[in-house]
This record gives sequence, C-alpha cells and structure tokens, in this order.
Amino acid sequence: MTETGHFALIITLPVAVFSIVTSIIGARLVSKRLAAAARYGILIIFGLYTLALAVILYAFLTHDYSLTIVAEHASNDLPSVYTLSALYADKAGSIFFWGWLISLFSVILVCQTRKNHRPAMSYTIAILAAIEAFYISLVTFSVNVFAEHPSPPADGFGMNPLLQNFGMLIHPPLLYIGFAGFAVIFAMVVAALITRSPGVVWDNLVRRWTVFAWFMLGIGNIVGMWWSYNELGWGGYWAWDPVENAGLMPWLLGTAFLHSMAALAPRNYLNTWSYCLITFTFVFVLMSPFITHGGIESPLHGFYLSPFPPYILAAMIVVIIGSMVLLCFRRRELKIEKKPASLLSRENAILLTNVILVVLVAVIFIGTALPGVVEALGGERIALDRGFFDRTCGPIMLALVFLMGVCPLFGWGKSLWKSAGRNITFFFLALVIISVAILVSGIGNWYIAVVVFCGLPLFIVFRELFRGTVARRRSTGRNCVRAFFSILNSNRARYGGFLVHIGIVLITLGIIASSFYGVEKTATLDIGESVRAGKYTLSYNELMFKQDNVKISAVAGVQASLNGKSVGTMRPSYAYWLSHDDFFAEVAVRTTAAEDLFVSLVWTDFSPEDKTATFRVLVNPLIVWIWAGGAFFLIGGVMAMTWEEKRSSVVKG
Amino acid sequence: MKKKLLIGGAIILVAVAYLLYLSFGSSVSYYVTVSEFFDRGDELLDTSVRVAGIVADTSIEWNAEDLELTFTITEGGKNMPVVYNGAKPAGFKAGATILAEGKYGYDGIFNAVQLILKCPSKYESIDIE
Repeated sequence: MTETGHFALIITLPVAVFSIVTSIIGARLVSKRLAAAARYGILIIFGLYTLALAVILYAFLTHDYSLTIVAEHASNDLPSVYTLSALYADKAGSIFFWGWLISLFSVILVCQTRKNHRPAMSYTIAILAAIEAFYISLVTFSVNVFAEHPSPPADGFGMNPLLQNFGMLIHPPLLYIGFAGFAVIFAMVVAALITRSPGVVWDNLVRRWTVFAWFMLGIGNIVGMWWSYNELGWGGYWAWDPVENAGLMPWLLGTAFLHSMAALAPRNYLNTWSYCLITFTFVFVLMSPFITHGGIESPLHGFYLSPFPPYILAAMIVVIIGSMVLLCFRRRELKIEKKPASLLSRENAILLTNVILVVLVAVIFIGTALPGVVEALGGERIALDRGFFDRTCGPIMLALVFLMGVCPLFGWGKSLWKSAGRNITFFFLALVIISVAILVSGIGNWYIAVVVFCGLPLFIVFRELFRGTVARRRSTGRNCVRAFFSILNSNRARYGGFLVHIGIVLITLGIIASSFYGVEKTATLDIGESVRAGKYTLSYNELMFKQDNVKISAVAGVQASLNGKSVGTMRPSYAYWLSHDDFFAEVAVRTTAAEDLFVSLVWTDFSPEDKTATFRVLVNPLIVWIWAGGAFFLIGGVMAMTWEEKRSSVVKG
Repeated sequence: MKKKLLIGGAIILVAVAYLLYLSFGSSVSYYVTVSEFFDRGDELLDTSVRVAGIVADTSIEWNAEDLELTFTITEGGKNMPVVYNGAKPAGFKAGATILAEGKYGYDGIFNAVQLILKCPSKYESIDIE
C-alpha cells in the first residue's frame, strides 16, 4: 500500500520533466500538439500526486504506525479530524501537502486556459511543473514522507494539545493555499515576460488569482492570530516570532503587488516594479519554510531542524538570479511606461503605498534575519526583542493607514489639487488642528493624536459610499438600503477593497488599544479570595477535578464582577496530558465590544486539600475589533473575488 | 518627475534608517549560553542578556504565594541561579531548555524578566506553518 503511494510520487518526477520539455519546445515551435501534451502531463502529475496523498491520509485514518510520519504525529485517542491535520503537523508532510496544492492549482489553471494556446501559457506550465518537481524532490529524496518506522509502536506519539482545535485545523492550509496561489501567479508573470508579452500579464486571470491568493494568505494570518490569542494562553495575538513573520512578509508584498497590478499596470505605469514585486513575493513564499524549518532560529518555537533549508536557499537564489537576468533581457518590453501627468496623482499615491509596504517588509526582514546573519558572519550572537518590531513597524503601519484614507482623494493622472479641489488644504489643516487639540487639551496622549490623524481620513471611504448611495437612490428611485447594496454590487472590486480597508483600520485600532491600554495581573488565590484587575474583580470560588483517558484537568470557577455587578462565572482550566507528560492551560475569555476579560489558570497543585491556584488576568481593550476587522476583510475579499463574473455578464448582456 | 520621485524615496529611506537606528539601541541584547556567559568574566555583569541553558533537576522552587520561581540553569558544566517573578510558564520543568532574559547581578543571581521555553523533544510541532 505505502509502496504504491511512494512509487506514484516518484513517477511524477519524470512526468514533470516531460511537461517542462514539451511545453518549452511546444512554445518555441508554436506546436499546439506539444503544448497539449504538456497539459496532459500536468493532469497526470495531479492524478499520481493525489493517489500518494490518499495513501498517506488512509495510513493516518487507519493509524498505520508502520509509517514514521503517522507514528510521530497521530495516536489512537486523537479525533479523526485532527488525525488528518496531523499530516501538516509534520515538516515534510506540510511540504508534501503544499506541493499537492500547487499541483491542484496547476490543473485548475490548465482547465481555465483550455482554449488558450499562447506560448505564454506553455511557459507558465513549464515553470509550474518545475516548482512541483522541486517540492516533490524534497519529500522523496531529501526526506521521504513514506519512510517506514524501524520499530512500529503500538500507539503513536500524538499531537500537541495546543494544535487540537479548529484554528490550527484551518490556519496552515489557508496559508499554503495562499502560498501555492502566489506560485501560480509568479509562473504566469514570468512566462508573460519570457514571451515578450507583459501586457498579457495584467489580464483578468492574473487579477483573479492574485485576489484569491492574497485573500487566503490574509485570512490564514488572521486565523493564526486568533489561535494564538485563544489557545496559547499568553494573552497576545502576535509575538513577532520568525515563524509568524514568515507568513506575514509574503502577504505584505502580495498586498503591494495586488495594488500595483490592479491599479498601475493597466495604466502601463511601473511594469518593472510590479514584476519585481511578484518575484520577491514568491521568494518570500519560498523562504517561509526556510524559516519554519530552522533556517532562522526561532526563540518561541522549537529546535526542530529539517534538512530542507539549504535546498530552499538554493531555490531562492535561483529564482532571484533567474528573474533578474530575465528582467535585464526584457527591460525594453517593460519600458513602455506612461508617466502620470502630476506628482500628486493617484498613481504616485499608490506607488508611495507600495514603497512603504516594501519598506515594512524590509524592516521585518532585517529584524527576523539580522541575528542569524550577524552570527553567520562570525559576529556576536545577539537577540532582538519584540520592542524592536513594535517601535519600527508601528509608525510605518500608521503611515499606511493614513494613505489608505487619503488615496481616494487623488485622481488618476491629475494632481491632488485639481481632483479634490482647493478645499483639501482645509481638510488637512483640520486634521492637524484636531490632533494638536487632543494633545494640548489633555484628552489623550501623543499616540491617540497620531491615531486620530491617521484614522480620520478613512471617513473619505464612507463619504464615497454615502455619495454613491444618494446618487443611486436618485437615479433609480430605490430606497436607501437597496441603493446601498446596489452600489456595492456595481463595482465589487472597488467596494470590496473599501471594506477590506475598513477592516484593516479596525484591526489597527484593536492592536493599538490592546497594546497600550491593557491591564495585566497575576495572583495566587485560595478558595474564597479575589483579585482586582482594572474595573473587574475576580473571586475564586471552586476548583473541580476531572479525568478522562487523555488528561487530568483542574477546572476553576471564577466569578467575575464589573464595578461590583456580577457578569458571570468563568471557567479556565489547567490540565495534565498523560501522553505528553506536560501541563496545558485552557483560557476563559469574556468578550465585549469594549474589552476582553482574559483569565488563565497557570498553576495549581492538583491537590483536593490545597486548592491554591495561580491566575493570570488580562483586560485587553478592543480585541474584538481585530476579529471584526477580520470579518470585514473576509466579506470585502469575497466581494472582490466575485468581481469578474459580474463584469463578463455585463459584457455578454 | 523622476527626480522628484527619487527625492521622495530618499526622504523615506532616511526616515526609516533613523527609525531603525532609534530602535536598535534599546532592543538588542547579547545572546549567550551559561558557560559562554561565565567565560567572559565580568563583561556581561548587570547588562541585559539572554542566557540559554537547561533547567537543572533538583533546583526548582516555586513560591506560589509570592509568585517567585527560583531555579538553576546549567550548560557546559556551569550553573547559574535564576530568580523570576511572575507566573510559572507553561511547560516549565526540569530538563527543559530555557532562554532567560534579564540581568546577572553582583549578588551572583540572574534576575529574569522573561522566560522563554524551548521544548527539546518533538513537542515542537507547535510551529506547523
């Protein structure tokens, strides 16, 4: 059985080579037949790869511990949903799954472009087959996912309890879907450049894939934050850990690419810039497993090292050098750039946003890689604390929020003064006055002033929506609600983008409020004692013990009261997991629009006589705004993704 | 036009370089193992460092009442007594690999402000991204 899977996986490699060769020759000779053969190659790879995946998943579901990967990550008592997700709890397993997604997406692309026999499509297929071959080689030759356990145990090692929840079930696949999507986009863009048809790149297909990949990666990161907050028990959602940064950096670069591709490229502005953006987005996608597999030491995550980093580094270097050489050979094709008429035009406003996003990624990259680089160059071993990231990235992110608000004021090609009228001076003057007034009057400190300064322009987004609704109501005679939705529907990409921007601002507010205005209290209490944290009083009333065949838990009953009024009983727990010989806490969170009350039980002796327990209590303001922002992101993203259908129906109709 | 854009880019670069310069000073700390720390003599006394080592078997004392965790970290045949005020971190136990962030005082005790645990075995699979 396992041999079948392993064999199927190995057979994909010659098929991939076949696809690469036939599609390149097919493109050179403009042979439809060869191009079609390469497409069949992609379908065959997917079939074989899926067979291999099915074999592994079957081994997981049947608890076949003769496979090392199953023995190390599954166990008899693991619920079957998590038994399947145990595949990507393994390092090689995650690369295996990721490679399968690229193969799936290649098939989708092949189906989408059935009638497209342009050479650019053939090169896309060649590049995708090469990427697939790279990942398949990693999980067959470097580490074999089908490796047999030397002495199969009766029960598997099992999964870390922190991973056994919904967030971790969907967080990794969402990221991998985004990553695999960017691989497809990279292949399409490079192929367009090889065939000297950069204009082709900016067609709807690339747009749709970009919105899709970017959206999945974004949602994946937000789910990761949610998981970190609700399951890890430290009360935060982002630690600037290298592994987290590995998922954030490609998303930020992808955001820059999305904007330059959607807004600048159709106007033939900055093609070279857009090309470099997608190249480096893909390089950072490649780098993500380089970081998580131990290429850069992570202080929060373990010592796990896989043999992949050197190969991944080599692949990154090949991609960078290859793309840059190609860029040099094709610089003339990219050069046909129309310059915007004015410095303060929307083109340049978007360019500025792009530059700031790139700078943000550069700063995060420096913070992530610097300790490793300094050591590799023979210097001191150093560490950067998270304060570095907070202090550098905070101001840059606020600048981005400001730009998001003011961007709609700029007109295409026209200067700001022409498009928004002279009144715009008063608008900015008013912003400065309000901010200074906040500072001087003592209502808030300087960062509230800065936040107001950066956040207020976002009302321009609402103004746009409002104006549109009013105009639509007048022209169609519909009521306000229907007019509003019909406006949203009329240009889903634009208004979807607005919703995403609103979401980002909500997330920013949540981050700022919870980082600067949180209250933290740790206390050891006996039954009947209580502790105050901010406006809350928590009384420790009871401690119950529960045991099942997986864990022994201590569940505390803590009565929370706000300004003397009871708001309910919270039940944080602390459990000893038998299979892991370790303790894990399950936090209790009470959420309101204004703040979260976060209680975690961090220590107790598990003794019926002495029920003393240590609690960590956090009052985190505006946390729910982060998740609400995530919801806006979700809705806006889905709207933007469904844009194409709408437009084609209009064309047909 | 191009000139103006370049000037704008230069301004951004300078601003970010200044931001980086401001942040580095207060964020960088040396990162050493226990034996490396003592090999350097008094050099790192009373400065912010990250010290890596293993929690020694018999040394753990947890005073829940005062939230004080006392233990010894060991590496390369050298021992370092550590005091940490705060909740006992999850996964803290003898044999765990730990990063203690703080200062080693003149009294010969390392005052930790933060403890970061690394799980030496396969528990690491938290980072499944």
